[in-house]
Amino acid sequence: MKAVNYNIKLRTQLMVSLSIIAIVSNIFGGYFTRFFIAEVAILSIFAMSLDFIASRGGMVSLGHAMFLGIGAYATAILTLNYGINPFIATLYTILIGIIIGLIIGYFIVLLDGIFFIMVTLALGEMFHAWVFTSEFLGGSDGISGITRPDISFLNIDINNPLIFSFYVLIWLIIIFLFLTKFTDSPLGRSLDAIRQNSSRVSSIGGYAKIYKTIAFSISAAIACIAGSLYVQLNGFISPELTHWTVSGEGLIMIIVGGIGSVSGAILGATVVHIVQHELSNIINWWMLVIGFGFILIVLFMRDGLWGLLENLQRQINIREKK
Amino acid sequence: MFIVQFLNALQFSMTLFLLAVGLTIIFGLMKIVNLAHGSLYMIGAYIGLSVWSYSDSFWLALVFSPVLTALIGALLYYILFKHIQNTDPMRQVLLTFGLIYISLDSVRLLWGTMSHSISAPEILSNSILIINEPYPMYRLFVIFIGIMVLISLFIILEKTKIGAKIRASVDDPETAQLLKINTNKILFYTFALGCGLAGLAGITVAPILGVEPGMDMEVLVLTLIVVVVGGPGSLKGALVGALLIGFVDNFGKVYIPEMAQIIIYAVMALTLLFKPDGLYNR
Amino acid sequence: MSLYIKNIKKSFGAITVLDDVNIESNKMECIGIIGPNGAGKSTLFKIISGNLKQDTGNITFNDMLINKLDNEKRARLGIAQSFQKNSLFPEMTVKESLMISCSQRYKISFNFFTSLVKNKVINKEAIAVATDIGLKKYLNIKSDELSYGLQRQLELGIAIACNPELLLLDEPTAGMSPAETKEIIKLIKRLSNKYSIIIVEHDMEVIYNLADRIYVLDRGVIIFEGNPIEVKNSKLVQNTYLGIQ
Repeated sequence: MKAVNYNIKLRTQLMVSLSIIAIVSNIFGGYFTRFFIAEVAILSIFAMSLDFIASRGGMVSLGHAMFLGIGAYATAILTLNYGINPFIATLYTILIGIIIGLIIGYFIVLLDGIFFIMVTLALGEMFHAWVFTSEFLGGSDGISGITRPDISFLNIDINNPLIFSFYVLIWLIIIFLFLTKFTDSPLGRSLDAIRQNSSRVSSIGGYAKIYKTIAFSISAAIACIAGSLYVQLNGFISPELTHWTVSGEGLIMIIVGGIGSVSGAILGATVVHIVQHELSNIINWWMLVIGFGFILIVLFMRDGLWGLLENLQRQINIREKK
Repeated sequence: MFIVQFLNALQFSMTLFLLAVGLTIIFGLMKIVNLAHGSLYMIGAYIGLSVWSYSDSFWLALVFSPVLTALIGALLYYILFKHIQNTDPMRQVLLTFGLIYISLDSVRLLWGTMSHSISAPEILSNSILIINEPYPMYRLFVIFIGIMVLISLFIILEKTKIGAKIRASVDDPETAQLLKINTNKILFYTFALGCGLAGLAGITVAPILGVEPGMDMEVLVLTLIVVVVGGPGSLKGALVGALLIGFVDNFGKVYIPEMAQIIIYAVMALTLLFKPDGLYNR
Repeated sequence: MSLYIKNIKKSFGAITVLDDVNIESNKMECIGIIGPNGAGKSTLFKIISGNLKQDTGNITFNDMLINKLDNEKRARLGIAQSFQKNSLFPEMTVKESLMISCSQRYKISFNFFTSLVKNKVINKEAIAVATDIGLKKYLNIKSDELSYGLQRQLELGIAIACNPELLLLDEPTAGMSPAETKEIIKLIKRLSNKYSIIIVEHDMEVIYNLADRIYVLDRGVIIFEGNPIEVKNSKLVQNTYLGIQ
């Protein structure tokens, strides 16, 4: 499957623009806006985790919501049952994500793209079913009462939505920088090569399975971070977070944004979440609209919104040269 | 007691088989997995619901459901798949994912979000005694339908010309294309057939499980596992996989309920480890 | 470099495709494998490259038994292959493709925090390979924008970039025009000074031009082995190819 080109300049410009918009909206917006920004930032982190394995390794996962769930439930249990600081808990979820990602990845990374989708969908659904019925995890009611990390020693109140939004944005930017470095690195490029022609990479001695497993586990860890932050944003977690529609929404986000550009995933997440939010306020059948829109984009806009921006950039460059 | 469980498992396997065989043939021919297969199962059930509501005849519903679902499949083929045949299979799969969303909301718009039920027809609504255990006749009927489909498919594939063409196209798509066998017509009929079978599965199961908007995904996951385990593109695999998963799921839920989910995972994991192309690869 | 292929037998169901095939080489040379259609050349090639496992028989490379190693592991040992049908990285430029291939044998391929593009060592190597295969002018052109002949050259380049000891070439001139074929022959001639080569080919002229020794395969059996002149003059070989030449 195709990914967008390496356009480092546009990627940075896009990220900077989005960040500025987020920061300004955060400062001047009301409670709702701030909450929304935190939500979009968390979804962007989730989208980046999906975008990462889709473009680096050609693995499209329809079950990644399970890692959201793992991160969220793990955070809930660690903070409530073991009294661990939520920030430390988030760090723990990175480790948990890597380990579980390595285990699952070992079995599935070499599957051909279409089977990979099928299997991840199945895994995600089974995780959802398990979480729904597990008494330990609160069953269909979930777990509530999760708090945010206490940074009162800085004289800042993390429960202020403004502050928590900034906290999430900081995580977002750190993960963005990490992923962009990764994308441009030798391992990232090898993974890109694997997406384009996996068997050739094997025949030149590339450790295809190991590379892909590493990528999958990092993606799992990042999704866990998103889950951990999510449960701290809302204060509770319910099995809904692991429903297949969440994985599906993630997939829609990266297709809309354009696979492979990292900041495209953030753009996609922002646009899709806003559209979904607004649509669902107006009509009941918003899934129909999103489904149609998604199909149209898959058919006619291969590079998603990123493609549009790239075109725009090209037009501007041509005009400047004149 | 055992015989009841056995027959339940067999009935469930037959339903999975109806679904898996359509999905696997479509994959074998078109190299895509129709993620909206579960949606067609759901639509089949809903169409059956409407026909039954208006006509009060289950048999009419049983006939109209698969036919109309097959027609919807044919329409989808003409509008979407025919034109994008030569693109990246992944994109086609993503398209089918969009169809899931459209189907779900369409169903909700047309029929509402509550669950409904269909009653089994009079003749089949009793139980008969099997080795001194009463067993619902309707479930036996579902098993019967499954076996009928199995036999029909066998006859079509092994004994007819079009069946030979389908088998050739699944076994060796390139040669089939060279020989002009793998034509649009074959793909069209097979796709429609697969969709029709999904609809048939939906209506036959409706009197047992009811009809509700979430039914598309519940069944899709197990169907996907059946196809992965059985071997995508293999009809034998669809049957064996359906039996395996159906029995493991049913008996698992009865005898070791906490472990039932994990066992299915384990079956899939073991298959992926030792036979990544499925039990019966092409 | 030493390569001993001994008593290779391979059947698919009831059909024996290869029967007691023996090939050996213990110096840098260019070995050609020819034979009529259906002789088993592709199967033999895949068994040597590691894409297929033989039923019985052993393959020893540099005194190491490599039967159990798949093509990925054999590549790391120094056996690289190029494919009959182009197997490129379509979205990557010539330079990027070569850099990917170069980087695989270094630990740096696991590195995820420095930039590949800026790596001086890999850059240099990639440019050197590009020069070797005559693609220096096309470094920044995307693979899928190259002409077919240039793509075939890149196909070779990707194999060479892993710095192998043994190059396996599967019909390198497949689909080429006579002019392009001439270029490739010149290129492979140059390469045969640096690498041991096993080349499977249909085009007899190509083999006669390039090979030091030729094995002739027919219906799964090696029927003749010799240098190009011996092969050209062999009545046995001519009879085998009767009607196909």
